[in-house]
Amino acid sequence: MLLTLGSCSPSSEQVQETTFRVNLGTEPPSLDWSRATDHVSFNVVVNLMVGLTEFDRDLKPTPMVAKFWEVLDGGKKLLFHLRDDVRWSDGKPVRAQDFVYSWQRLLNPETASEYAYILFDIVNAEEYNQGKIKDPALVGLRAVNDRTLEVRLKYPAPYFLAITTFEVTFPQRQDMVEKFGERWTEPANIVTNGPFLLESWKHENEIQLRANPDFYLGKPAIDRVQMVMVNEKTTALAMYERDQLDFIDNKSIPIFEKRRIARRPGYRVVPQLRGYYYGFATNRKPFDDVRVRKAFALAIDERVFPKVLHGGEQPIKSWIPPGMLAYNKEIGLSFNPSAARRLLAEAGYPNGQGFPTVTLGYNTDESHKMVAEAIQGMWKNNLGVLVRLDNQEWKVYLSRLLRDPPHVFRLGWGADYPDPNNFMNLFTSNSGNNNTRWKSKRYDELVEQAARELDPEKRIELYDEAQRILCETDVPIVPLFVTTEATVLNPRYTGLELNSMARLMLRHVRLKEPST
Amino acid sequence: MGRFILRRLSHGLAVLLAVATLTFVLMHITPGGPFDREQRLPPQVMANLYAKYHLDQPLWKQYLLYLKGLMRGDLGPSYKYLHRTVTDIIASTLPVSGLLGILALGFAIVVSLPMGLLAAYYHNSWADRWCLFLATLGISLPNFILGGMLIWFFSLQLGWFQAGRWGSPASMVLPTITLGAAPAAYLSYLLRSTLIETLGEDYIRTARAKGLKETVVLFKHAMRNSINPILTVMGPLLAALVTGSFVVEYIFAIPGMGRFFITAVTDRDYPMIMGVTLVYSALLVGANLAVDMLYSVTDPRVKTQ
Repeated sequence: MLLTLGSCSPSSEQVQETTFRVNLGTEPPSLDWSRATDHVSFNVVVNLMVGLTEFDRDLKPTPMVAKFWEVLDGGKKLLFHLRDDVRWSDGKPVRAQDFVYSWQRLLNPETASEYAYILFDIVNAEEYNQGKIKDPALVGLRAVNDRTLEVRLKYPAPYFLAITTFEVTFPQRQDMVEKFGERWTEPANIVTNGPFLLESWKHENEIQLRANPDFYLGKPAIDRVQMVMVNEKTTALAMYERDQLDFIDNKSIPIFEKRRIARRPGYRVVPQLRGYYYGFATNRKPFDDVRVRKAFALAIDERVFPKVLHGGEQPIKSWIPPGMLAYNKEIGLSFNPSAARRLLAEAGYPNGQGFPTVTLGYNTDESHKMVAEAIQGMWKNNLGVLVRLDNQEWKVYLSRLLRDPPHVFRLGWGADYPDPNNFMNLFTSNSGNNNTRWKSKRYDELVEQAARELDPEKRIELYDEAQRILCETDVPIVPLFVTTEATVLNPRYTGLELNSMARLMLRHVRLKEPST
Repeated sequence: MGRFILRRLSHGLAVLLAVATLTFVLMHITPGGPFDREQRLPPQVMANLYAKYHLDQPLWKQYLLYLKGLMRGDLGPSYKYLHRTVTDIIASTLPVSGLLGILALGFAIVVSLPMGLLAAYYHNSWADRWCLFLATLGISLPNFILGGMLIWFFSLQLGWFQAGRWGSPASMVLPTITLGAAPAAYLSYLLRSTLIETLGEDYIRTARAKGLKETVVLFKHAMRNSINPILTVMGPLLAALVTGSFVVEYIFAIPGMGRFFITAVTDRDYPMIMGVTLVYSALLVGANLAVDMLYSVTDPRVKTQ
């Protein structure tokens, strides 16, 4: 059944309900925030729930359910003091025990949560998830009383507050989860505490939210939200142009339409905390030679990417993305074809002569192909080296990266929480995500120290040195750009600002005043 | 007849078992697993997931577990849609695809019968050429192009229909045409060529010489003998149409089963791959059986003993 109350024309009377219509793209795989892993699910959850903290515009954690917090014991103990006016949709107050239950559930091996590891800094959390400890009470989590949550960490972790903004740490109601089992997220069963209530969920079709009149910050200005699941970008864009949607982003704008859409009122490009990089298989010839890796990095003119992809992509040379602590645009190798040729000659391949056939791998996708072709051209022109392009289906590609990565490979990395630790950890020696096979003891030490350092200034210094190793000295990767979300908001509305974590937060959306 | 049906049903079950086994083996030897992500999971987290879904068991055990579930009608949990079973998903999406498929088949029949008749009866005339032209267009135009064109013209330019989604009767018009165009063209081709052949037969000449009315000759004598090839293709066609079309459902955002033929594989959602394959196979077996039974009605030479 299609709902037709969607539209709300500019001339509509004030008494008419406002329904804000967005495209989720696909069915959310799970609305259980302990088990969800993807943007689609989190974009629904973030409108149904609030947690201890939330990001402000500067990506700093600000109080939500937690009124304030204390960092004790040299950073190893956190005490969260909760508000007393936040209520679940069935009227019961949100208590510290609801957080303890949710976090223990996230860590419970039987839940098999993919994000369990996000809480591994807590005392005994990893051991409990591994099954080495059976009693969840031994995990460093405690409800001191209904309003106070105590978290004990294995070591000081300056990024831990940022983790409490992440949806997987939102509270849960033990009675409801246990009563309804796998069905607890269905509209009839779910109990939430956020700005909107889950009214209906027609699988593979649409989700309807209703404003929560009892939300502790006040009822949102829009009465309803209709979230449709339209996969095909061309169709979603046609729906926007037919006034069937009020907001679209990358999920609803085909690459070839981006230039046209950029001229529409309400268009905005939002850089994301999501890096796009090429990695080198540093254990394979010829990329075991750092001079070759540097030559390849120096031969890339990163300014071309926005021209290729038309999405306002932001070129980068260093790994920590703009907007995050310790972002430093001075770090990294700048485009310098003559230096690149010199290094390649030093490595024994003057003008690319005698260079072995190497492969550049990426997963099958139009935009990855465009980037790969652009870089293939630059390496041909600037180094005299012709690399072979090789694309594979996503999961085949991922398993290949694990077993036997191609000489050069594409990957991306998006922040779970906006702290450089989340980005820099990726290339440590024991990181499961370091496909380059590169190892640096000094880099590992710096990243570890920075993760335990509470002083932001000192952290920045440590990350600067680590980034220099990663992007200037050893160059196991070449950061290329941060991805962006192109968004268009129906000019009738205001107040929707997609943040750099691409979260679709709708509680500030409202109709513009008639005069504007 | 009863024994015929029983025999065919037991053959059908054997086919289904073979399909299940083959699919099970193929999907497990395909590289990549259901929980492989850009952000690779820590080993213990992966181990918990594998334990939850019994993926840590030897393959033969997993296979037996699956068959055991299947006997009870349990198609297993989806690895992607965490709170839903494969049975849930198929139960909610198959009826949508089924309706779209039946509408598309209805459209195909309604369009192809007069076209095929016209083209065969006025063989080599302008009418024939027009019908052939339309049929060629219908077959050669990929449905993502046709769907896109229909949306552009009828939705964006004329504003007659919404651009996508499923629900009201009006929302079904464009998807039905998109999905039905190729089968309509194919059926009209088939009908035309068999009718042309039949109309040249001696008994038609005899019927005409006896002074029978042209409509009787055409509909009673010629059509009846030309219908069998159409019935033959109708079985697989029906199975293909009612289990959904990935492309058409994708373009029009229809909550049908078709998309799962692709997404289940790209997600490596093993139980979902098995589920949609088995449903498709079962429908194919069923539709072919139904067609064989229909033969005995339309063609007295076919015995179902």
